[in-house]
Formats: sequence, structure tokens, C-alpha cells
Amino acid sequence: MTGTDQSSFLGRISIRRNQVNAMEGYHEQEIEDLELFQKQLSDRFAELLSAPDDAPTEAFLSISWIRKLLDVFLCCETECKAILLMERDAAQISKPPLDRLIPELLERVVKAMDICNAATNGVELVRHCQKLAEIAVSALEQKPFGEGQARRAKKALVSLMSAMHVDDKESSVQKTAERSWSFGRRSGNKDRHHGHYRSLSWQVAKHWSASKQIHAMTMNLAAPRGPEASCLPAPVYILSLIIVFVMWVLIAAIPCQERSGLTTHLPINKHVNWTHSLAGIHDKIGEEWKKKEKKGMAGLLYEMQKMEKLGQSLIEFTDSYQFPGEKEKLDEVAAQVAELAEVCRRMDEGLVPLQMLIREAFHRLVRNRTEFLDVLEQGAPVV
Amino acid sequence: MDGCRSGVPTYEGDLHVVAAAHHIVKALGATKNLSDDLRKILIDLDSHLSMITSNIDSKGGRGLVDVEERLDQAERKIMRWETDPMMIWDSGPKEASDYLEAVDETGKLVDGLRGLSVHENRKQKEILHRAMNIFQTAMSRLEEELIHILVRHGQQFEPKNMYSRSIRKDIVYDESFVSVEDEPTKETSSQNCSNDESGECIVDLVHADVIPDIKSIAKVMFTSNYGPEFCEAFISVQKEALEQYFSFLGTEYLSIEDVLKMEWTCLSSKMNKWTWSMKIIVRVYLASEKQLCDQVLGGLGSVSSYCFLEISKATILCLLNFGEAVAMGPHRPEKLLRLLDMYETLADLLRDIDTLFSEEAGSFIQLQFHELLERLGESAIAAFKAFRVAISSNGSLYPFAGGGVHPLNKYVMNYIRMFPEYWNTLNLLLKNQHPGVADQVTKPDYGPDTSLLTSCPMAYHLRSITSCLESNLHKKSQLYKDEALQHIFLMNNIHYLVQKVKGSELRLFFGDEWIRKHNAMFQQHAMNYERATWSSVVSFLKDNNPGSSSMSKSTFKERCKGFSIAFEEVYKTQTSWSIPDPQLREDLRISTSLKVVLAYRTFLGRNLAYTDDKCVKHTVEHVENLLLDLFGGSSRSLRNSRRW
Repeated sequence: MTGTDQSSFLGRISIRRNQVNAMEGYHEQEIEDLELFQKQLSDRFAELLSAPDDAPTEAFLSISWIRKLLDVFLCCETECKAILLMERDAAQISKPPLDRLIPELLERVVKAMDICNAATNGVELVRHCQKLAEIAVSALEQKPFGEGQARRAKKALVSLMSAMHVDDKESSVQKTAERSWSFGRRSGNKDRHHGHYRSLSWQVAKHWSASKQIHAMTMNLAAPRGPEASCLPAPVYILSLIIVFVMWVLIAAIPCQERSGLTTHLPINKHVNWTHSLAGIHDKIGEEWKKKEKKGMAGLLYEMQKMEKLGQSLIEFTDSYQFPGEKEKLDEVAAQVAELAEVCRRMDEGLVPLQMLIREAFHRLVRNRTEFLDVLEQGAPVV
Repeated sequence: MDGCRSGVPTYEGDLHVVAAAHHIVKALGATKNLSDDLRKILIDLDSHLSMITSNIDSKGGRGLVDVEERLDQAERKIMRWETDPMMIWDSGPKEASDYLEAVDETGKLVDGLRGLSVHENRKQKEILHRAMNIFQTAMSRLEEELIHILVRHGQQFEPKNMYSRSIRKDIVYDESFVSVEDEPTKETSSQNCSNDESGECIVDLVHADVIPDIKSIAKVMFTSNYGPEFCEAFISVQKEALEQYFSFLGTEYLSIEDVLKMEWTCLSSKMNKWTWSMKIIVRVYLASEKQLCDQVLGGLGSVSSYCFLEISKATILCLLNFGEAVAMGPHRPEKLLRLLDMYETLADLLRDIDTLFSEEAGSFIQLQFHELLERLGESAIAAFKAFRVAISSNGSLYPFAGGGVHPLNKYVMNYIRMFPEYWNTLNLLLKNQHPGVADQVTKPDYGPDTSLLTSCPMAYHLRSITSCLESNLHKKSQLYKDEALQHIFLMNNIHYLVQKVKGSELRLFFGDEWIRKHNAMFQQHAMNYERATWSSVVSFLKDNNPGSSSMSKSTFKERCKGFSIAFEEVYKTQTSWSIPDPQLREDLRISTSLKVVLAYRTFLGRNLAYTDDKCVKHTVEHVENLLLDLFGGSSRSLRNSRRW
């Protein structure tokens, strides 16, 4: 998707609206706009679905893939809002069933904002993992490689694993919060260091749960039927579904507060053309989630998965390493270290922009909500 | 032990290698255009090699045996702590410096041995391997010691005396717009902080005594390439300390959904708390944290600012998110002052934020602050508009009993009395807001003495608000069937309005002309009241034929009776009316008295001949006294208390 696509689309709607503004009801042109919009959506999600499962760059669920997904989200959001609000009489928005659908949409928007914040915290955790992995890499790259460096690498990797498998349950956060400040015992230090990322700022709020938020967002999310399917309820549904979907992907990919029981089922209407690729992505991630959920994990982010696998293998290596080591084994490890270094590099490049993009999505949701509220206010029947 | 501190001796066969290497190093060192890093390495190497040579010379080349001995010693010093439950830095400065010395020694041996391992010498490799092992143990230990020192000597400071919570508006104005009944409680304190409001306030987050210890650990770890480990440990402890402090301040982590659903009273106190915590966190805590980072990591390029950002980011974002949530919530009028507090706090802190996060990586945080400030400003304007709308749309079905000061009036006037405190901010925010058409009417047409204050944006808006209020009060006055009561109501309310303006800084913004105009207004209502009530009553006492000397007895009797009935009727109704302001009540009574009593006395005086008749129900004194009962707020009747 490109910028020109979008601006031409918005221009088209704007011109249309000006032309047909005076006319009553839902115009044929609008149906055409909606169809064009759905076609574009379909293309964009198809492109996302076609990302390779395992590739050095642009892999499915990789950082750059999620950034693309967020870009798609921001575009859709703008266009959907244009279809709904641009040049439109506010009174249309406050008529049934929209008087129910729009407030429901706005509730989802609020929940999505909290999820964005949870994901921002999650990216911090991923960055922390990156730093630990970098330590391991630099230790493993040392020449000559002795047991001392092996221990150094192992220490970083063990911290990495425990940070990755941070228990996202509420209880562990509470425990950390109540942990005593003063201790003189060295064992205390060790515990502290390993679990230190279960910090308070990790939480969005007490008792907040990402999976419950998603569950609540899917309530009443049903595709419009019959004549409604081609008029205003349709874009409201599309926008809702895309918000829920993107937030669901964020939660699945990036560590978040309380994800257990995350639903793997989103009410995607598969009988509409444009949802094919979306449903494809959904199924693929859902499968992946089911496989990994039991183990307790850092999330489905490609780089994290990769890091986890390499980390495990390198821990095994450092565990049994004895100076000077076998040449063959060392070569194999060197390849893994290079791979881990590459993952770190991609994280280093991608995580900060990703975090900013999530924040941008957050701000967009804030503005989006304000705009809808303004229109609702204008359209409110005069008492 | 033998005083030989450095250098790695070799087998005699290696002597020439050392000499050759030394020669090369010297030659390289003479090259210009070397990077600082490289030059430093060469200088280190040079000194190492010199020592090796001298060592070989003096000891006659005891070689690796000597190195091993030195490593053994260092190892003993380092390894003995691995089984000791005590922390090194807790055990005393001697222990700490011994340990650092041993680490330094091991480091030098590692460097030296590494520099020499050109030859495939098994023994040498073995020693190097051992030294590196010991070195790793030491580094790992230093990391633990660091964490321990930071935690053990971390200090919390009491926020109690800082930016005292009740800065200026402790006036309790948390009621929502609709539920006002009484005058709000009086201000309990004013301006009791503010001295240190702008002053820097830095505390020691970690006890000053241990800063050199932390620095020495930082130095060793960074020169040994263990910088990342140092940073991770330092960040994790300090980050958690900040979070602990955050909870200590009583600030909670709240989701946006929670904030949007919150009851007003609860939200209001959270907004207050936010304003207060934000100041302490940024101006005291983060400023101190920044100083700590600079003290410990000062000479290490961007490391200090990197650590600072990592430590503070999460907490800052959490504070910002609360602000976002508040700004996006419904724009209720009662939120205005709290929003202005938040806005001013943030605006005030921007400079600090821009300094604290001046590095490129921190621009993200800077940007978020600026965005939030904008959002809070928009939200404040929206709340301001909502305030006006609420005033104009506040409707009543029934007249306000007694004609006293209406609660809406009290609410609005007590509320806007706070506005001058926010003068600058409101002016800034309202600059581009058009108060609406109503304002055209209220725009004052003042003479040349117009002060700057009466023509600032806030002044326009203030006058526009009171003009909204006045027209609403006029509407409310129409609910009274009794015209006299309409005037009493308007007199009371406009008088109240003027008093509130005169008695506060509002007068500077409304200006003398406005006050004069409104003084005249309520006086006019007082006069209208007198006319409406008393003209008909007094008309009984009027002499229709001023020419003739006196009226007939029957006419007198009739007039007397008419007057009494009318007077009693007025007495009955108007004792229940109220004029809450004692001075205003007094003034109106006097003026009424003058009019009525004087007319009555003249009437009786002119008809002295009939005054002993029973038809004169009230003496002049009696009427005078009865007039004092008017406007007391409780109905009385003369028929029940008939005295004769």
C-alpha cells in the first residue's frame, strides 16, 4: 500500500460526497466506495499473509511485519473514518442502529488504547531481552573462548530466559511489589536479578488483563446482515474488527500483562471477500498460539522465538563447555552466535520505531474517539 | 606481595620477542593520526612491555612461575569471597580496595598473557584460561556488589514538605455543577508553598558516601568490557526504586478505561495527586536520578543518558497516560480548574523535561510531553465551553423560594473567583476562542482609563460568562408571579454578583465601569420593588384634595382600613422573602421605612381628630417596627399575633 493510494482514495470520497451531499439516504456511489475500500483491505492483508515464515527479514510476525501491520491499521483507520464521517450529516450517525454501534465501537477504542500501552510496556521487555542477548553475544565472540566467557554468556542467557518467560500473571507482579527492600544475603541478590523485570511499571493497572480486554472487545462484534451489510454499519464493523484484530495480534506477539486464556477465536465473517486473508492470518497465529501457550512464553514475535531457540541451545553449549572445546562444535556455535547477533541487530533497528508506531496508533485512537464524540454531539437530537 | 605489581615475565627464549614487540609498539606510538583509543592501548602495552623487560632483568626470568604465583594470590583474594556470606563492600574499605586490587591484577595478567600468546605454549594458555575464569568470577561478583550497594544505600525522601498539596486552591470545589447547594467552604490555605516552586531540589537517591564505591566498580567493569552488565544491573535497581517511590507517593497504575469510568470526586483527587506527584517526580526525583547517573557514569559518553532514559521511561509514560485519559474524558465544567492545574504543572515542567531528556533518544519522551500539554489545553477549553453551556442551560421549573441568591449564581461566582489565579494560562488558551455573540453586548465601552486587564481575553470571557448568568437569572425571575419578588430576586442576585466581583481580584478584570453599571442595576431593582409593593399601599394615605384641610371621618376610616389590610398582606408575604445580605436588607428597610412611615405619619398627623378611633389599627411606631420583620425568610402573620 502506498501513500498515493490512500490520498487518491480519500480524494475520491471527498469529491463524491460533495457531489451527492444534497441527496438523501445511502447512495450507490457510497456502496462503490465501500467496495473499493474492502478491495484495498483485502490486498493489504493478502500481502501481510504472504510474508515468509522464516526469513532473515520481513518474516511473518517479525518486528518489521508488525510495523507493516500497524501501518495497514493506521491507513484503514483513516479511510474507514473518512467513509463514516467525511462530509456526512451528523444526524445520520446518531440514527439507529448506529446510535448503538458507534458507542460500542468507542468502547473498543478505549480498550485498544490500554492494549497499546500494555504493548509499549511489552516492547520494553523485548528490549531488555535484546540487551541481555547482546551481552551473551559479546561473551561468546571472545577469542580465546574460555570457561570464564562461557559462564559470562550463560549468566546473561539464563537471565534472558527468565526475562522471556516472565510470568505475566498478576500474582508474580504483586509478589515483586511486596518484596523487601533490604537484604544482606547473597541468595537474595540472585533472585532479585533474575526476576527483576517483573516490575510494577510492567502493569497497565491492577487486575488488568489483556486477554479479558480482547474478550470484551469481541462482544457484540457481529457482521451486519441483509441491507445493513452495504450501508453505514458495514464500515463500523470493519473498523471494529480491524481494531480488535490488530490488538489481538499485538497481544499474541508482544509480552503483555495477563495473557492467559487469550481467545484464539475472533468473530471474523468469512463469507465476505475481503476477510479471506485476514482470516488466514488469524488462523495461522491462532494455531501458533495454541502450540506455544502451554509452555509459558515470551510471545510469538519472530525475533523472540528465534532468540529463545538460540538461547536454549547456547545455554546447553555453555553448560557443558570445557576449554578448549571441539573445533566442530565451536564452528556450529559460532554460526548460532552470528544468528543471535543478527537478531539483536534487527531488534536494535526495529524496536524503537515499533514502540513509536504503537504510540502513534494510541494517539490516533485518542483522536479518532474525539472526532466520533464530536460528531455524535452535533448529531444528538436537540432536546 | 613482593612488590612486583605488573608485567608478565617470560622464558628467556621469549626475551627477544618482547624486545621486538616493544620496539614495534614504540614505533607505532610515534605515528600521528592515531585514534585516542588506539593510542591509549599502545601506551598501556608499552608500559606492560617495559615492566616485562625489567622484570626479566631483575628476576633473572623466573617466567611463568612468577605469573602463576601472582595469579594464585589474586585468585585466593577473589575466591575467598565466593564462600563468604558477607558482602565485600559491607566488610570495610580495606576489603573492598584489596578486592579491587586483586581484580586489577588479574585483569593485567589476562591482558599481558593475551598479548603474548603468539606462541603456542600450552602452559601459558592454561594460565590465561585460569586467569580469565577468575576474572569472570570477579566481574560477576562486582555486579552483585553493585546491586547490593544500590539497594542497601538507596534513600527515599519524604515528599511531605515539597510542593505542599494545598498549593493555592484548597477551596473545596469538587462538587459537580448540578449539585451545588451552599456556599463552598472558605479557603483553608493560600499560597503556602511556592517558595521552592521553581527552585531546584536535588536529593541523594543513593547515600553520598557510597558514590565513590559505585564509581570504582563502574570504572573496573567498563574498562574490562563489562559495561553492559553494569548498565543492566544499575538500570534494574534504579528503575525499581523509582517505581517503589511512585507507589510510595500513593500514585496508582490506572488503565484509561478505569479513569474514564471514575466518579468525579475520586477523579478530582487523583488529578490533584497527579499534579503533585508529577512535580516531585520530575523536579526532584528525576533531577536527582539524572545527577546520580552523571556522577557515576559521567565520563562514559552517552551511557549516562541511556541509563537515565531506561530508568525513567516507564514511569513517565505511566504518568503521561493518566494525563491522556483525563484529557479525553468528558469535558465537564467542574473539571476545568483541575485541568488548568495539570496544564500549568506540565507547562511549568517542560523546560525541566527538555533538559532531562535533551539527548536524541529522549526526544520521544519530550514529544509525548508536548503532545499531552496540547491535549490538556484543548480539554481545558472544552471544559470552559461546557461551563458556559451549563450556565445558560441551567433551567428551573419552579421559582426559587424567598427570592434569595440562587445556588447557580453562588456556584458560578465562587468558581470564577478562582480564574484570576490562572490568568496567564487562561489568556493563552482563550486567545483564539470567540466567546460568542453575547460577548458583543458585554464588550465594555470604556473611556481612556481602560486598563490592560479589562481588555485581556480572559476578561472578555469572564464578562461573557456573567452575562450568560445574568440572562439565566432573568429567565428564572420570570417564574415569580409577584412582580415585586422578581425585583427582590434580581436585586439580591445582581448584588451578590457585584459583591463577589468587588471582593476579589475579579474586579481588576471586570473594571470599575462594569461595577458601576451593575450597582446601578440592583439599585434600580430595589426601586422597582418599592414601587411595585408600596405604591398601592401608600396610595391609601394620599390626600386626594390637597386643597381642603381634612377628609371626612368615613373616608378616613375607609383609608385606614384599606391601608391596614394592604400592609398586613405585604407583611405576611414579604416576611417570608429573603435578603441574605444584612447591609442590603438594612438599606432597603430604611428606604421603605422612609417612604411608608413618613406617609403614614403625615396621614395620621393631618387627621389628628380621628386618631383615637379604633379604626387606627397600627401606630406609627408599630408600623416602623413591623417593617423590620420583612425579608427575614420566615412568614409571619399579624392576624395571629393581634395585640388588641
